[in-house]
Amino acid sequence: MLDTIARFANGRGLWPAIPAVAFLTVLMVIPLVLLLSFGFSDIVVSRGVIVSQDFTLDHLSKILGDRLYLLTFQRSINLSLSVTALCLIFGFPVAYLYLRSGPLARRAILIAVIAPLLTSGIVRTYAWIVILGGQRGIVNRALLDLGLIEAPLRILNTHWAVLIGMTQVHLPLMILPLIAVMTRHDKALDEASANLGASRLQTLRHVILPMSVPGIGTGATLVFTLSYTTFVVPQLLGGGNYLNAATMAFEQMVYSLEWSKGAVTSTLLLVTCIFFIGLFTWASQAATRWIRQEGVA
Amino acid sequence: MSGARKIALTDRIGVAAIYAVGFLSLALLVAPSLIVVAISFDTRSYVSFPPVGFTFDWYVKLFATPELIQSMWVSLKVGLIVTGLCLTLGVPTAIACVRGRFKGRQALSVFVLFPHMVPGIVLGIAILFAGATINARPSIGLQSLAVACFILAVMIRIVMARLMRLDVALEEASANLGATRFQTFRHVVLPLLLPAIWAGAAFTFIEGFDNISVAIFTHGHRDRPLPVELMSLVQNDNTPMVAAVSAAQIALSVVILSVVSSTLGLEKLND
Repeated sequence: MLDTIARFANGRGLWPAIPAVAFLTVLMVIPLVLLLSFGFSDIVVSRGVIVSQDFTLDHLSKILGDRLYLLTFQRSINLSLSVTALCLIFGFPVAYLYLRSGPLARRAILIAVIAPLLTSGIVRTYAWIVILGGQRGIVNRALLDLGLIEAPLRILNTHWAVLIGMTQVHLPLMILPLIAVMTRHDKALDEASANLGASRLQTLRHVILPMSVPGIGTGATLVFTLSYTTFVVPQLLGGGNYLNAATMAFEQMVYSLEWSKGAVTSTLLLVTCIFFIGLFTWASQAATRWIRQEGVA
Repeated sequence: MSGARKIALTDRIGVAAIYAVGFLSLALLVAPSLIVVAISFDTRSYVSFPPVGFTFDWYVKLFATPELIQSMWVSLKVGLIVTGLCLTLGVPTAIACVRGRFKGRQALSVFVLFPHMVPGIVLGIAILFAGATINARPSIGLQSLAVACFILAVMIRIVMARLMRLDVALEEASANLGATRFQTFRHVVLPLLLPAIWAGAAFTFIEGFDNISVAIFTHGHRDRPLPVELMSLVQNDNTPMVAAVSAAQIALSVVILSVVSSTLGLEKLND
């Protein structure tokens, strides 16, 4: 009996994976196919149950022809690209610090980077309401006290609050892959470069930066996809003024109960998201290949 | 000589600038959480920093708010169910993906890791639709299944990464010494996999407890999980009680972090 179980667990066959495959088919494949079909139909919902569903191309054609959707998706893409760039600018130096640190400092840096990841995104976004908030917010109070401004700035509930909050919330996702690739490479390479007379900046430019490219690719993909598909930060820091594609899908589903529109919006979100994952992966691989060919690293 | 000194100077300035940005980023990562913790002890009834007094009142109020306590129980249940599901489904799958000798093993890996690319909001909406089609309304059960589906790939990845680094020779040696397949699994493979299993369990529990992107569409109307409750609290409540709830969540994540760092080690986690 035990041996039969073990053959499931330790065998060389496909069967240990069968429960998970069945699970994912029922909970992911079928729902995603349904999601697609809902975009092609007119849904009437009452108290969480579908009353009727009729085939129509109305919603799809209306949405594809609506400028609001085009603008919203453009805004989402712009925001996510900006957040990705900012995360790289602020994240790379942390990974470089890690590379240059001793074991104790390395541990401290890892804790500072991983701890936020284990904390709810809502909690971390809430902190930014406190920091950026109205007159009593920390930033405004500091600026007023220093006499740099005369009236409190309106930061919360603007594009800037969303950008700042999202960058901080997603920063660890850029730092961790960078640390992983930087430390994987032989430290001797780095030392050899210094011994050959390269300055630290030259080593950074010609050794560390090129070898970080795959990490930048992974980090950028993670940061971009999460920024592109989250509604938490825009909802809390944008204060209902800030509409990105994810917030739009969220509002259609939860507030206005327009399920057909919600289906089209989330299908577009999925398709564009996978497109960008592909694009980032391709770019990162192309960059790695180019660096190898040029012999920069 | 002056040229070399110039290089040394720009080098020093450049590196100093990079260090400065690095320290700034680290401060920005940590400070917001510390500010929230500090505010949760403030005596004033509005949120402001720095706090002017010290009190546990907001924590007392937190535990006297039945909706919050109930939502914590909901999240705890979901977290445990998600962890259980991911362990029973994920560990055998990871073994099949790494140790399997069958056609289509590569395709299997791609299939089971694919959910990683599906945004939580999209999966949540899709499962809500699927539920509505078969008349399964949002509930603790539906929420747990949905979040488990969302996070399963992470469990599989962590266990796979560990398995790939294990030496197959150990298992072969065990078999050659006459151990049955079960004995080999129980006494050789499982103990070596345990750190990865613990880390995977910690991550899936956190996701089950904290997830909002999937949960907001699939949670039961009377069983609101903590993140959903917290989201509306952040939008509607201006007292430091929100900070107290947040500080409690931060404390939980510190506990989980120490579990992970003592079982798997922080450095290995990031490989």
